[in-house]
Amino acid sequence: MKPLVVLAQTAFVVVVIGAWEIGDRVGLFDPKLLPPPSAVAVTLWTLLHSGAFLADARDTIVRVIAAFVIGAPIALATGFAMGENIGVGRSLAPAFNLVLSVPQSIFLPVFVLVFGLGFTEKLVFGITHVFFVVAVTAMAAVREVPHGQVVLARSFGAGRLRIYRSIYLPAMAPLVVTGLRLGVIFDIIGILLAEMYASRSGLGVLLLRWGESYAVDKLMAATVLISATTILINELMRIWETRVGRWRQAVDER
Amino acid sequence: MTPSRPVVIETRGLGKVFSIDRAPLTAVQDISFAVPEGGFVSLVGPSGCGKSTLLQMLAGLIPSTTGQVLVDGEVVRQPAPGKIAIMFQDATLLPWKRVSENVEFPLEIAGMPAAERRRRAAAMLSLVGLAEFGARYPHELSGGMRQRVSIARALAPDPRIMLMDEPFGALDEQTRIRMGHELLRIWSKTAKTIFLITHSLTEALFLSDVVLVMSHRPGRIVGTIDAGLPRPRTYDIIGSAEFGAARNRIWKLIGQDDDAGAAEGMASL
Repeated sequence: MKPLVVLAQTAFVVVVIGAWEIGDRVGLFDPKLLPPPSAVAVTLWTLLHSGAFLADARDTIVRVIAAFVIGAPIALATGFAMGENIGVGRSLAPAFNLVLSVPQSIFLPVFVLVFGLGFTEKLVFGITHVFFVVAVTAMAAVREVPHGQVVLARSFGAGRLRIYRSIYLPAMAPLVVTGLRLGVIFDIIGILLAEMYASRSGLGVLLLRWGESYAVDKLMAATVLISATTILINELMRIWETRVGRWRQAVDER
Repeated sequence: MTPSRPVVIETRGLGKVFSIDRAPLTAVQDISFAVPEGGFVSLVGPSGCGKSTLLQMLAGLIPSTTGQVLVDGEVVRQPAPGKIAIMFQDATLLPWKRVSENVEFPLEIAGMPAAERRRRAAAMLSLVGLAEFGARYPHELSGGMRQRVSIARALAPDPRIMLMDEPFGALDEQTRIRMGHELLRIWSKTAKTIFLITHSLTEALFLSDVVLVMSHRPGRIVGTIDAGLPRPRTYDIIGSAEFGAARNRIWKLIGQDDDAGAAEGMASL
């Protein structure tokens, strides 16, 4: 990126935050509804040193990670089977695509009824959020594998494992990483949503509670923290995505 | 073709029936021919006559339904890397690997040590006139250059047989002619046995000792034309009377089949 572009982008963020701060100072905004960034920063600092807040944050993080660690591998395996085996693909793909078009949040009450309010319900809800998007992209990734390359590699005496490693893996990587990136984001959405809907712990509960009790400074601080974290995760995964997909971009630009 | 040279590739009554939606489809039928050591044999035929199916059976990539393929007198049941190399119309280079890494790929599969592999790839690239392009990526090369890389890769494991499926089919005419010359140059240097599939009668005749003519589906060999043209060949030969006569003979064989096919079609109405 050109330095000028970076400068302009940074300037935009600085201007927005600055205007927010000044707006509060000159009485343009009601600090009770929109506390200034400086106050939010102070609140965030206190929250990060509060044991209770960190315990809730830890619960959310554990749920998000558990759902991903369980959901993603199952989804990759399912998606791979769907892409490799026409029969499996034909039987599952339509249903999966339909499920993806339904907002999964509407199933939340059912999940609560079936799994109760504990860890299991959050976990399963998170897994469903990871699963479908990762499975569908993994299936699409298998279809990206060039058939001619596979035939050629076989003629060179390549076995199945070698073909998977040297052809499938690099060919599939860009789409798979895109799927995983979306999976993480969906995972976070699912867990926070489940926590906000009904939960005894987690950041979602705190957001809801603080919102209802007009604790706007804490609400803003937690919102900023969660946003920053998801942006960071997303950007890191995007860097990974670009790395494994560099060859693809170059080919597309031709 | 001198009959004294030993036969390298031989097919006996080769046939392939596919089952598509449970209906049998005969792709090729009763294919018998022989290619001698160091020979250049082409196969021409209409599109969809099962040429590619035949090539994959020769390479041991798909099993035959009837008959067999023999290479050096042994039945081919699976790919024979290091002995038989194949090339497609599409260069099928791995886009994420550099040109030299692509040429090394078959050697890597064969388990050759890296240093030796690199040396061999460099030698092959200079053979096809691309010594300076090893560090490039395939998308940085033109279609003709990519196909040369594909030739270098096929040659890298030093196979005795090259099976080529319309290798220049996707190239423009000028590049195609140049690649034909290039292939003859490499062939005379390396003394490989080449079996080439094409739909271009001119290309087949210009390159080969013998041209096999294949019919519509189910593909059968309907004629064998001995090119009988002197070597080394230059582009001028294409305008010669002998060349024209030979090409006419091939065309008549294909034409006859066309008429027969049409008559068959009418009869079944």
